[in-house]
Amino acid sequence: MEPLNIILILVGAAVATVILDPVFRKVRLIELSGVIACIAFLSTLVLLVLDAVAGAPPRMIIFGPDSPLTASLKLDMLSIYLSIIFSGLGLMAAIYSIRYMLFEVEHLPLDDPFWAKVRELGLDRYYALLLTLITGMIGVTMANDFFTLYVFWELMAISSYSLVAFRKWSWEAVEAGFKYLIMSTLGSLAALLGIALLYGLAGSLRFDAVRAVVFGGGNMAAAFSLAMIMVGFGVTAAIVPFHSWLPDAHPAAPTPISAILSGVVIKTGVYAMLWSMFKIFGPATYGFGPALIGLGILTMSFANIAAIMQTDIKRFLAYSSIANIGYIITGMGLAAHILRTYPSETGLAALALTGALLHVLNHALGKGLSFLSSGCYILRVNSREIERLEGIGARMPATTASLGIGLLNLAGVPPLSGFWSKLLIVSAGLGIPSDGLMLAATIIFIVNCIVAAGYYLWLFQRLAFKRPMLDGGLKEISEAPALMLAPILILAAACILITIMLNPVLQFIRSALEVILG
Amino acid sequence: MSLYEIYFAGSLLLITTGLYIIASKRHLVKIVIGLEVVTLGVNLAIASMGIRIVDDMIVMDALAQGMIAISIAVAAAIAALALSIAINIYKHYGTFDIRKLRRLRW
Repeated sequence: MEPLNIILILVGAAVATVILDPVFRKVRLIELSGVIACIAFLSTLVLLVLDAVAGAPPRMIIFGPDSPLTASLKLDMLSIYLSIIFSGLGLMAAIYSIRYMLFEVEHLPLDDPFWAKVRELGLDRYYALLLTLITGMIGVTMANDFFTLYVFWELMAISSYSLVAFRKWSWEAVEAGFKYLIMSTLGSLAALLGIALLYGLAGSLRFDAVRAVVFGGGNMAAAFSLAMIMVGFGVTAAIVPFHSWLPDAHPAAPTPISAILSGVVIKTGVYAMLWSMFKIFGPATYGFGPALIGLGILTMSFANIAAIMQTDIKRFLAYSSIANIGYIITGMGLAAHILRTYPSETGLAALALTGALLHVLNHALGKGLSFLSSGCYILRVNSREIERLEGIGARMPATTASLGIGLLNLAGVPPLSGFWSKLLIVSAGLGIPSDGLMLAATIIFIVNCIVAAGYYLWLFQRLAFKRPMLDGGLKEISEAPALMLAPILILAAACILITIMLNPVLQFIRSALEVILG
Repeated sequence: MSLYEIYFAGSLLLITTGLYIIASKRHLVKIVIGLEVVTLGVNLAIASMGIRIVDDMIVMDALAQGMIAISIAVAAAIAALALSIAINIYKHYGTFDIRKLRRLRW
């Protein structure tokens, strides 16, 4: 399968939802645009999984003549691995949206009849933006030159700004959307400045051409452009101190979009950093390892402390996303440090990167699951305060049990795969005991994991077992609707399935790592 | 000073101006203008990298032209979106002043 087909399927579905929307409204079946989105995500997912199972060799298509100036797309194991995560979570969010967006329609603060509200809300735009958001992320992983990467990056960014500000009748959404837009655009522009410098150095933007120029020797301009790219993509990855948009933007979006933003959009920033730092610049020449470790430690420590103080369940989950980005960045930093300081220990660096990439999958599943479950509570209770949700587990057992699996996965409780990804990073960090920096980083990492495990379990205990604070407030609550419960159960099953099939998954990640480390 | 250096110095000047506008102004539309000025600076940086001198004629690389065209289109989309969000903020608060908003702190 050609890489272009996936992008054409998703963009085609986005166009179809917009064109067909008047027809759907006329026949009074607004769910159909959601069904189109689901079909598009499902077919991409099936195509990608088939490719992964067949172990397809890396492919590349070039638009136009084969010169260093033309744009091109690639499809290797790393892009397949990330694209499967992106389209899989996109499918879950699309299924979930079909029912959840009706709730948004009902709560629109207008006196109009139902169908006027549907028109005002703009469901067609919602699904089209969801599709282009996932297209942008998949395109970023498939880009073969910085120019294509930037185009898909902006496709993703503009879709996510509109989706954060989608509930434009709420002050929170428009404020958070504006803040997100300004900060994230400045980040993209910093990355674009770095890309412009690379273009000046190499005369081309194809990854292989740029790599040939900057990989071996480090001059000032290349180091400056590396710093710009790191900061620019770091804003989208929500690395502290560039994180302050995230705790506002993620809760303000509609819940399925929060799941997408927290689960996978920030991972696109991680991918862009991983690719440009490890593949293009090379950790052996540029000593960015300690800087990455420092940023990772800062990110996880800050976010874990901030998460404990949250009273709003979506803000709580948003802060814990920042903390998980900290784990991934620390894993990458350890790998970079090992590759530069101990060039013979490639296996140890691969171990740290395997842990980081496995954690990308674990966090996408766990955080998608937690956000989607919190959306079910919001649907039934119409509140995001954890205090008001206490003891809801007795009324919504299936949702809460699935949320429990997701939270245990995030907490890293042993049999689940969230434990193994953290263990891989820790064992890589302890691999060279004489190195003080790595030892200190690993100890802080372990302390953070324990604190995080503590507050995840505390949240679960409050939701599942505590007696309701407001007597009678939760009497009327029933289990979430089937269409919203289904994606949650699938994600919970996926958490367990990944744990059972840990070996094939690790082998898949190893083949994806070969793309980067060679 | 070569043409390339003049262009690049100009682009850095524009980027600094834009960042100053974003940091100092309290009006939503002015912040969007600052964002556009930064975009222009980055576009000029791309242009400065694409300058080639062929037979005593100054030409620009095709890739640089393509990138600038795309970047302008993206900036237009972002400006349109930012202004539409600003209009919605105005509908909620009746002001464009970010100090009057409840949570916008950066």
